[in-house]
Amino acid sequence: MSTPLGLDPDELVACVACGLCLPHCPTYRVTNLEIASPRGRIAAMRAVEQGVVPLDGVFVRAMEECVQCRGCEAACPSGVPFGHLMEGARAALASQPIADARRSPLARRATERVALSWVLTRHRVLLTLTWLLWAAQHVHLVPRRLGVPRLRAADLRTPLTAPSGDATADAWLFTGCVMDAWQRGVHRAALEVLGAVGVRASRPGPGGDCCGALHVHSGRRDEARKLARRVIDSMPGTAPIVVDAAGCGAALRDYGHLLGTEEAAAFAARVRDFSEYAVSQGAAEHLVATGERVVVQDPCHLRHVQKAHPAVRDLLGRAYRLAETADDGLCCGAGGAYSVQQPALAQSIRARKAGALREAGADADTVVCSANPGCTFHLAAAGFVVEHPAELAARALSREPVSRPT
Amino acid sequence: MLDHLLADLANAMGPDRARAEPLELALYARDAGVQAGAAAAVCFPRHADDVAAAVAAARRHGVPFVARGSGTGLAGGATPMEEPLVIVTTQMNRVLDIDVASRRAWVEPGVLNLDLSRAVAPYGLHYAPDPSSQQACTIGGNVATNAGGPHCLASGVTAAHVLAVDVVLPDATTARLGGLAPDTPGYDLRGVFVGSEGTMGIATKIAVRLQPNPPTVRTLLLDFTAIDDAAATVSAIIAAGVLPAALEMMDAEITRAVEDFVGAGYPRDADAVLLVELDGLADGVAADVAAVSDLAMAHGARNVRVAADEAERQLLWKGRKSAFGAIARIAPDYYLHDAVVPRTQLVTVLREVYAIADECALTMMNVFHAGDGNLHPLIVFDARVPGVWERVHEAGNRILTACIRAGGVLSGEHGVGLEKRDLMPLLFSPDDLALQGRLVDAFDPDGLANPAKVLPAGSRCGEIGRRPVPEGAWI
Repeated sequence: MSTPLGLDPDELVACVACGLCLPHCPTYRVTNLEIASPRGRIAAMRAVEQGVVPLDGVFVRAMEECVQCRGCEAACPSGVPFGHLMEGARAALASQPIADARRSPLARRATERVALSWVLTRHRVLLTLTWLLWAAQHVHLVPRRLGVPRLRAADLRTPLTAPSGDATADAWLFTGCVMDAWQRGVHRAALEVLGAVGVRASRPGPGGDCCGALHVHSGRRDEARKLARRVIDSMPGTAPIVVDAAGCGAALRDYGHLLGTEEAAAFAARVRDFSEYAVSQGAAEHLVATGERVVVQDPCHLRHVQKAHPAVRDLLGRAYRLAETADDGLCCGAGGAYSVQQPALAQSIRARKAGALREAGADADTVVCSANPGCTFHLAAAGFVVEHPAELAARALSREPVSRPT
Repeated sequence: MLDHLLADLANAMGPDRARAEPLELALYARDAGVQAGAAAAVCFPRHADDVAAAVAAARRHGVPFVARGSGTGLAGGATPMEEPLVIVTTQMNRVLDIDVASRRAWVEPGVLNLDLSRAVAPYGLHYAPDPSSQQACTIGGNVATNAGGPHCLASGVTAAHVLAVDVVLPDATTARLGGLAPDTPGYDLRGVFVGSEGTMGIATKIAVRLQPNPPTVRTLLLDFTAIDDAAATVSAIIAAGVLPAALEMMDAEITRAVEDFVGAGYPRDADAVLLVELDGLADGVAADVAAVSDLAMAHGARNVRVAADEAERQLLWKGRKSAFGAIARIAPDYYLHDAVVPRTQLVTVLREVYAIADECALTMMNVFHAGDGNLHPLIVFDARVPGVWERVHEAGNRILTACIRAGGVLSGEHGVGLEKRDLMPLLFSPDDLALQGRLVDAFDPDGLANPAKVLPAGSRCGEIGRRPVPEGAWI
């Protein structure tokens, strides 16, 4: 029997409504409303699936307000696969027309469609638009609050030194779409750190750009599957796939689930977060103490999904004086495109995070470390100085010649 | 009528503060218990005046009302019955004042239990009652249920930590119950209110006692291959004159479920484990650790593990406090009892409880405050299986009857709410219940405050037309 959302009933009943997820949900923390909580969203999915309430604009909004940070999943004693449920609900909503004035405005949905289908997936278009954005920034036409980082012509002009599509390399460095256009400096730093420990890295071959994470989040699963297949083909062999964007890394690690093939599962098993891989190659021993203080911010998809956040401390702990926030790793509100789609909630969530960061010592001179471009842009727009662990590691690299441990 | 109520509420509290969308109402139809009700409307006050206005509006339209915090209650205390207005206090969540010298704080009802302890941690203080849901539950809800928690063994339950409560009474007037003086003169209405489960009004501001953090804390994990041995150890520890800060038991199945979640190193092959926390001055704690270890070994413990550091201790506690939530790893539904039995009867009652579950062909597990004799027999099941509910009810009634026969009571800390209401006659005579009914009537003569809770039908005046739990209300 088909249901309005087609969700897995066994995944849905796994929630016993204990409520232990509530304080770990960023939208619940700023609204204190059941409808903006993981438990409430699951109950809403159940109610719609059982036909108790209509699939209306209230439901759509409840689903769209979720950041998909998956903090609730890490907090759930019963292991409810909330991320899969939410992705399933979004996919079902994306495939059916819901006429309701309370849905997000048509203009925003149209922009989202153009961005997701025509820009992110075509890397040349994205780079061209990035040049236009650079020009606009140059004449001060881009407000800071949009969160676009300061683009540098030199970065955009200069390609990465690593070869492309080299299947003989020790590791692949996945370069992504927005990350390559707006934060190529992070890739450069990652390559520098890997080079310092003797790892020869290659960029993906053709098609290895957009990972499809934002498409999955928006319910565009078919497009995401196409992109996943393209990404898998771009990095053949058995070499580890190093990802320096936490959101992309989480998406790549989920390809087995997304595509449901053995090939995809094998690919996913090769994925490593940059810090994780760098530590495994002994990079931490090549850093020297800087005495600098750094406040660590864990991107949700690094902490709650990949659970690779301890590696950031392992990598940087020797070189920097690391400070932790006291907010249980609550989301910052960036959430991929969330900060654009739900600006009001995203800003409330960020205000909470900003408080926690400042309490941990983040100020104009103290860097916040974040391993995900979305969080970086979102926090930078609030005035924080944000750097990627790869950039911090590269800055602390010992200038002594080193050889790779055998 | 509903439109008028909503208009009145919006007028008093601001637009969008009261709503009645079907989806949103559905989300407030139950708490963490198993029974669902149905709300007429839901509103979100921001301060005491809003609460008073909401209660006044509900009265004006003859609509009952029920207060709700985080909805983590396990007895249906916040489940809306008789189509009430649900008054959600979660947005009233400010810690208003911390008086470090007097070790007390004024808080709003929506403050989360753990957030309060975190707010006072910089002063070396904490709020002692720590229900397993402490990261999510509200102080207002704790007051309503007179909540307990593992650390209430030595410190006492919520009632011992609430000095005063500002309340909106069911007639929409306000009052302060109790006071900051050590022993407020006159009748102890604060004591009456704490644990009244929303039937006597709604707390809008609470003065709580804060405790200094103990200088030394040691947490022990005792591992047993026979549940009888674990139960006997509990009784022996208290009999030996040791009063642990907490003394918790988990049986085999729940230990495995919890270990799957936390990976704290709980033994998967144990028949039962005890978690014992000892605190105080270093020398005394060291002596207690030795005494408890010796007693455990003498009673057949396989192993005694002392948490090496704070991280290990926290992980062990995270496991214990996640137990109910971890149940879905075994089956999607659970029905939880909260009976208390004399500690000396633990071995006998536990045996009987497991036997009842076997006879009813149900999976039963136990995770409980052993030091208090506060059992939490959990019947786990899949509600989608036809006929299972009848067996769950039968087993529940038999378990409670056995506990009461052994000299126990039917609720330790979760409250009576909806789920245990009809079991009250097992414990109280009609005269006892009528006296309790007269007390509630004094606060709420019209029966509008959280109706159909705590006392079974017929215990109060003015109950004409009160409906029993409607068919299909059980999920």
